[in-house]
Amino acid sequence: MSDRRPDLAALGPALLIILCAAVGLRLDSYPQYVIAVAIISMLVGTALVVLVGLARCITLASGSIMAIGAYVSTLAVAQLRVPYLGTLALAILAGGAGGWVIAFLGTRFRGHNLAMVTLVFQSVSIILIRESRWLTGGAEGIHVPAPEIFGLAIATDRAFLIMIGIAVAVMTLIVTILVRGPFGKNLQAASGNEIAAEAFGVSVRGYLTAAFVVSSIAIAFAGALLAPRVRILDPDSFGVLESIFMLAYPIVGGMHAVWGGLIGGGGLRILPELLRPVADYQELFFATLVIFVVMFFPGGLTELIRRVVASKVKPTPPALAPVPAVPAAPTDRDETGPGGHELLLVESVDKHFDALHAVNDASLRVPARAIHGLIGPNGAGKTSLFNILSGFLAADAGRVTFAGTSLLELRPRDRIRLGITRTFQNVAVFGQLSCLDNVIIGLGRNAVLHAMGASFDHFARGAATRGAQRAALAALESVGLAAQAYSRAGSLSLGDQRRLELARAIVYHPRLILLDEPVSGLAESETEDLRELLLRINAERGIAMLVVEHNIPFVSRLCRSLSVMGGGRIVAEGKPADVISLPVVQQLYFGEQATS
Amino acid sequence: MIALRATDLTVAYGPVVAVRDLSFSLESGEALVLLGANGAGKTSAVEAIAGLLPKRCGKVEFLGRDISRLSASAIVRSGLALVPQWRELFPAFTVEETLIAATTAAIGRAPTPLNSVYELFPVLQERRRQTAGSLSGGEQQMLAIARALVTNPKLLLLDEPSAGLSLGIARTLIGAINRIREGGVAILLVEQNMEIARAIGERCCMLRAGRLAWAGSMQEAMARNEAERVYFGAHGRVC
Amino acid sequence: MLTELGFVVLAGIKFGALYALAALGLVVVHKATKTVNFAHGAFAMLGAFASFLIVVNWHWPYWAAYLLIPWAIGLIAAAMESVILRPLRQADMFTVVIATVFLGIAISEGFRLTYNTELLAVPSLFAGPPFIVAGVLITRDTLWVIAGALAAALACIALFSYGRFGRGMRAMAANIRGAQLCGYSIDRVYMLAWFLGGGLAGLTGVLIAPVTGVSIDLSIAIITAGFVAGVIGGFDSPKGAIVGGLLLGIAESVSAAYVSSAMKNCVSFLLLFLVLMWRPQGMFPERSGRSV
Repeated sequence: MSDRRPDLAALGPALLIILCAAVGLRLDSYPQYVIAVAIISMLVGTALVVLVGLARCITLASGSIMAIGAYVSTLAVAQLRVPYLGTLALAILAGGAGGWVIAFLGTRFRGHNLAMVTLVFQSVSIILIRESRWLTGGAEGIHVPAPEIFGLAIATDRAFLIMIGIAVAVMTLIVTILVRGPFGKNLQAASGNEIAAEAFGVSVRGYLTAAFVVSSIAIAFAGALLAPRVRILDPDSFGVLESIFMLAYPIVGGMHAVWGGLIGGGGLRILPELLRPVADYQELFFATLVIFVVMFFPGGLTELIRRVVASKVKPTPPALAPVPAVPAAPTDRDETGPGGHELLLVESVDKHFDALHAVNDASLRVPARAIHGLIGPNGAGKTSLFNILSGFLAADAGRVTFAGTSLLELRPRDRIRLGITRTFQNVAVFGQLSCLDNVIIGLGRNAVLHAMGASFDHFARGAATRGAQRAALAALESVGLAAQAYSRAGSLSLGDQRRLELARAIVYHPRLILLDEPVSGLAESETEDLRELLLRINAERGIAMLVVEHNIPFVSRLCRSLSVMGGGRIVAEGKPADVISLPVVQQLYFGEQATS
Repeated sequence: MIALRATDLTVAYGPVVAVRDLSFSLESGEALVLLGANGAGKTSAVEAIAGLLPKRCGKVEFLGRDISRLSASAIVRSGLALVPQWRELFPAFTVEETLIAATTAAIGRAPTPLNSVYELFPVLQERRRQTAGSLSGGEQQMLAIARALVTNPKLLLLDEPSAGLSLGIARTLIGAINRIREGGVAILLVEQNMEIARAIGERCCMLRAGRLAWAGSMQEAMARNEAERVYFGAHGRVC
Repeated sequence: MLTELGFVVLAGIKFGALYALAALGLVVVHKATKTVNFAHGAFAMLGAFASFLIVVNWHWPYWAAYLLIPWAIGLIAAAMESVILRPLRQADMFTVVIATVFLGIAISEGFRLTYNTELLAVPSLFAGPPFIVAGVLITRDTLWVIAGALAAALACIALFSYGRFGRGMRAMAANIRGAQLCGYSIDRVYMLAWFLGGGLAGLTGVLIAPVTGVSIDLSIAIITAGFVAGVIGGFDSPKGAIVGGLLLGIAESVSAAYVSSAMKNCVSFLLLFLVLMWRPQGMFPERSGRSV
């Protein structure tokens, strides 16, 4: 079932780079220079795919990070006589530090404000470089000595090409491995749906910071490689305009795959050479090209190719695994079971929004292995209470304990470790990722550094990776989606997406799942299927469930007990048939007329 | 004359199909109620009719004219006004300015004079220089209805106008809506509250999971307890 | 010493008034359409260039520049909105930012290709002896720029905030769906907002041309200053734009005079940084208020 071969596709981009270098070696001196510079741009493109494409952050600071790498390396060689290879390491450290600073200051924002923080970093860095004449030679620039590696002087175009080819290939391979493994997947999840990501242990700020650091390391590395090639460094060649033009690499080449960075970076770098006869019109052509791509081919070239391929290759309709019939109708089984204490205990929770008393002294309990429902008309406070339980809203008063641990102080992403997962009213699968990857995120092993290590394990198809895939496949199987494991989650129907959410919620073997309107938007038959699936999961795996729903027939045939909310209070609690016929509940839905 | 006809209306956003193959019609001067639990698709249906939501397929005809492809502003300019579920007022605009803004929709058709609108809701005239954000919930709802009235509609869609309001205010609104209807405006009302539905509607359509579950006169609906069945699947039966 | 300070502050107010006008153009567009027009600086540069053409090349009277250019640039901006921005209405913010950024670059490049010189000089509107007030030297040009820019800004705010012209934009800014239900067409209101923003950019260009000359740097300088001023003031507040612009101008002038002229550029970014860290909603935040 699991593939034991390493992820050889990850070698592709690095091999392309080696190929370009190899081709260049057969050419003359000037083309060798051009190809060397193009290869460096490929690295920049790759780095920007991580930051701009996967992490969805607009950065205007690429120029300054490249400058940092170039200047640190050059100054270390010239002033401190550090061997060139050592200065590459220093450049990496400096770039990473720069990226970390930007992230620390900027990732509390999104959108325009984040872009502005990067602009501040960019401008201030360049100004500082320009003003520190004593160190950097200021605006006149600084002469870059020819590098020496193990005594060999790198002075010819040929030598540069070989050095740059190897260095960039190695760095690209590392970045590709990170992108294709859990790190890249989690990063896409974090930028795609922050709330769902946090609910499964993916720290959004942590991953965005990591994206800045990783891409800055690569860009600074590129700067350090470029420096000896351009011979003279001056701050104005790393200005805001350069940053903006570098943004074009992933935009044109493709934002969601390393190949896009390669194609965009390499292609756009070579473009001026091809446009030499109309050299003056380069930037105008460039800018118009970007506008054109953004309007008509969003996502860039690789996205266009992917869509064309996906439309030509029609996926075979999945043979839906039939959901087995429910063994028995819900009865009044003894709910206490092993450890029959209350699993989730909500006591007197209160929440105000200005003058609105959204949740008023609400209490409920969910015993282990139970399925409990929460219903009530619009505006009754169900959503607020649910958000408090799932950690996305702070309560004003009250207690919530889960198996003895207090929940109220916990951040959403810490709940999974306790064994609480959830689904979302507006289905929150990670559309860019495959179903399998969606469920793997549900395993909750999503700390940044761990994910980075896991990416290398993923490359080598190690035991940990295979174990995670097995668990994910098993979860998909139990919801009937095993056939869709490698389909993109975004292409699934709503019913299948809701099942996917369920698979993601159960793969960790949690003790409690919080379900937020799980059948909203589904057709009658799909609702039935989901109900049976939930009953089966509860029976087979012993997972307790708290279900918020509007669909009362669904909820009464699923849950063994219900709480009814109205005007922020819990107005009734008990078995569905009993509760629904209570006058107070009928009144909530139908107004003051007494029902016959 | 048929004021509004929806044929096989299907509304979807992304993978969520909120309304499926909904068909119904409404005569001029008539009052029709769309009933159903939350999530049944009532709001999606009226917002799609009013042009605020894209329709995946189906046709909507207003006074004989196909409005399926028109933008929301074009639809209101042709005489179909919506009072949305969340009112969608402008917090910093005064009552008066809100109403004046709505006269934009009546350009070329003669807006309803503000005086007749104030006559219907005298409290708005008292508070006409107050900002919408400082009004009470009931007053805001009246303003939302008044705003729709200014556009001189032939058909008024109201989405749960009584939501969150006290029974007293709800009754005031009922009176106002019935007077509007007497003025010749057809009414399509979305409601969960049966008392208000009964007070205004002659016919009703019940939605469940986006589909039409039942249609008939209001009296039939009450007699057969259709509402309960649709809401609660009463007595364990799924209908 | 005080007269020197006075002179420095006055110079700051002069540029500040120009920044205020630029920021106002950005804020108007952002308030109505929720997008930041990063080509705003390029539009201003076009305005400056157009004033060079009218006054220096074609020898038309100066007032013709003031009369025609804001309209012309406004029309160009509205056209750009229809052609480039309308198809991108459903796209995410990143795409729109990129589109306007590169639109600005395309316009700047277009200018650079038609007129290859570094800097074009445009004469001032008023020649004549300067005034001396409280020991501070005020050139007629300075007075005109300050008075003209601030008057235009206030007029624009009045236009936007009261009366028919601005109502649609303000309604869209407050609630898009509600505005549509009043009969306001998104297409028309957005185009109007861009027309107004473009007109302000054009006017900024005409006013700034005699002060700094016309060059391609104007494009970046104005969008940067306008954006920073907007953030300082609170990006959806027209009067915040004016206050932010004046503050920025004065801060730059003071730091150029008393610290160093290189630090002048740093100042705007440091100010931006401080505002983002401590009060990202700006000095005059839009109160979100109860949702109605």
